[in-house]
Amino acid sequence: MNPQFLVDGLIAGSMIGLGAIGITLTYSILRFANFAHGEFLSWGAYIALALSGALGFLFSALKTPVGPFSFGWSLPLAGILAILLTGMLALLLDAILFGRLRAQRGAVIIMVMASFGASLALRSVLEFIFTSKPAYYTKALQIAVNIGGGLRVTPDQMLALALTAVVVFAIHLLLTRTGIGRSMRAVSENPALAGVVGIDVRMVIRAVWIVGAGLACIAGVMAGLLVQIRPYLGHDLLLPLFAAAILGGIGSVPGAMLAGLIVGLSEAAAVQLIGAEWRAAISFVILVAVLLIRPRGLFGRQA
Amino acid sequence: MTLGGGTNLVPALQTRSLIAGYEPDMPIVRGVDLSVLKGELVVLLGPNGAGKSTFVKAIAGLVPIHSGTVHLDGQDITAVPVHNKIRRGLAFVPQTENIFATMSIYENLLLAAAMAPKSERERRISTLFERFPDLASRPSRLAGQLSGGQRQMLAVARALIVHPSILILDEPSAGLSPKIVAEVFTMLQDINKSGVTIILVEQNVRAALAIADRAIILVEGKLRHEGSAATLADDPIVAKLYLGASATRKAGVS
Ligand SMILES: Nc1ncnc2c1ncn2[C@@H]1O[C@H](COP(=O)(O)OP(=O)(O)OP(=O)(O)O)[C@@H](O)[C@H]1O
Ligand SMILES: [Mg+2]
Repeated sequence: MNPQFLVDGLIAGSMIGLGAIGITLTYSILRFANFAHGEFLSWGAYIALALSGALGFLFSALKTPVGPFSFGWSLPLAGILAILLTGMLALLLDAILFGRLRAQRGAVIIMVMASFGASLALRSVLEFIFTSKPAYYTKALQIAVNIGGGLRVTPDQMLALALTAVVVFAIHLLLTRTGIGRSMRAVSENPALAGVVGIDVRMVIRAVWIVGAGLACIAGVMAGLLVQIRPYLGHDLLLPLFAAAILGGIGSVPGAMLAGLIVGLSEAAAVQLIGAEWRAAISFVILVAVLLIRPRGLFGRQA
Repeated sequence: MTLGGGTNLVPALQTRSLIAGYEPDMPIVRGVDLSVLKGELVVLLGPNGAGKSTFVKAIAGLVPIHSGTVHLDGQDITAVPVHNKIRRGLAFVPQTENIFATMSIYENLLLAAAMAPKSERERRISTLFERFPDLASRPSRLAGQLSGGQRQMLAVARALIVHPSILILDEPSAGLSPKIVAEVFTMLQDINKSGVTIILVEQNVRAALAIADRAIILVEGKLRHEGSAATLADDPIVAKLYLGASATRKAGVS
């Protein structure tokens, strides 16, 4: 078996993990499975594409590749703005859709169906604006470096792995060491008691949307950089994202990240062992197996 | 009416024709007028399902109020959202799930202390630890691993950290051994003596009446009986009202 699958699996797993953290956070606080979460990845990727194009057009120096990487400063700058804008998109969606349903104390299934609808609508808008033709942040080619053991990694890939590690660590610190993080955990355990101790639950919900959508944007930009940008980018990752969120245990950030890596590596191994057409089945098998054998996942709370 | 030492005749909390319930067309609390004076310790009795929890949850902002008003220190707080009630000086300890089980003792306190100015938080927590040495021994312990008595202590400590003017507790003695119940009640008495008005929902009639200034009895969502704790303790009507509808929980009345 070619060990290269390790690199492919870790890369895919990083994106899945970042997306799954967003799903696990919104699920544990808003208590519904948001099927529109994948669209945050796609929207993040396209917003960054549009902004980085605009920045490159205005200041052509920003297009010059930085160091060994394939992209210029326009992409990281656009990425930071895109994180904020994707967060705004999530807030907007909550204000016009999910928040209203919450206020009516709608059933969970209504929220889930609404998220399906939102997902279709968001994707159609992307296809309308950007067409379904794949797009790229950069046309520059990258040479993979041999890092020993027959493994070849491009500088962009190494950066993505490092960035994922930093971001996950930062989110972990946010949840465990800061007031807003503690409030998020409190709301996720018991929203009524959270209110009683003085936490404004609506404010926490807004913060969670921003964090979840921001992480989705980072995952989307990575997917766009390392593979390509398509309107279906996020949609196609939806099953792996949910498989990872549930395998990791709803509410667990380390769980979602670890499970994301497991799903990514399993997919990559399956591609080599049984064939690329089986990639999509892996997430499904993991999802069903976890639900049957250990529904609370690796690190989830006992129900 | 005989009142305890710290009371003066100013209302701390008042409900007027309070109607509240979980569904819009299903009132559980059906028109309650209650006035609690500053410094008073009032015990709220009543059979299971009488609506005691619903009543105090409505005051705390956890159950929708259909009509009527709640005033705290003369200000209308009927529409104040739950998270702002504590900022007005009203602290509530729910009947069940009144601590965050997945968080440490310290984090539970820190969450509530977030209301206080940043510079004061640590000091308030250490003051509370002096008062509750049981909690102080290992602040990093998960609250979910505490014994029943320690959980109640933590829930009360959490409520006190914001220096409330009124403390509402829903059956803090439920599930505790008689010895621990006595400890909890002594502690509540101390808190009351330090000037905090207390409304205490209880099934533990004798023990509660022993520390209360006044008792009120809620039956089917309405105030049925009200009087000083001393007279109610020997009142046959209390035993009748109470036991009549609550044969399963006699244990509290000895
Ligand atoms: N979350 C809820 N949703 C709908 N109805 C509820 C809810 N909680 C309680 N009730 C109903 O409200 C009524 C009053 O319940 P409540 O808990 O206020 O009584 P209680 O006097 O506190 O009883 P207990 O002594 O058992 O604690 C009961 O008929 C109960 O079934
Ligand atoms: Mg009750």
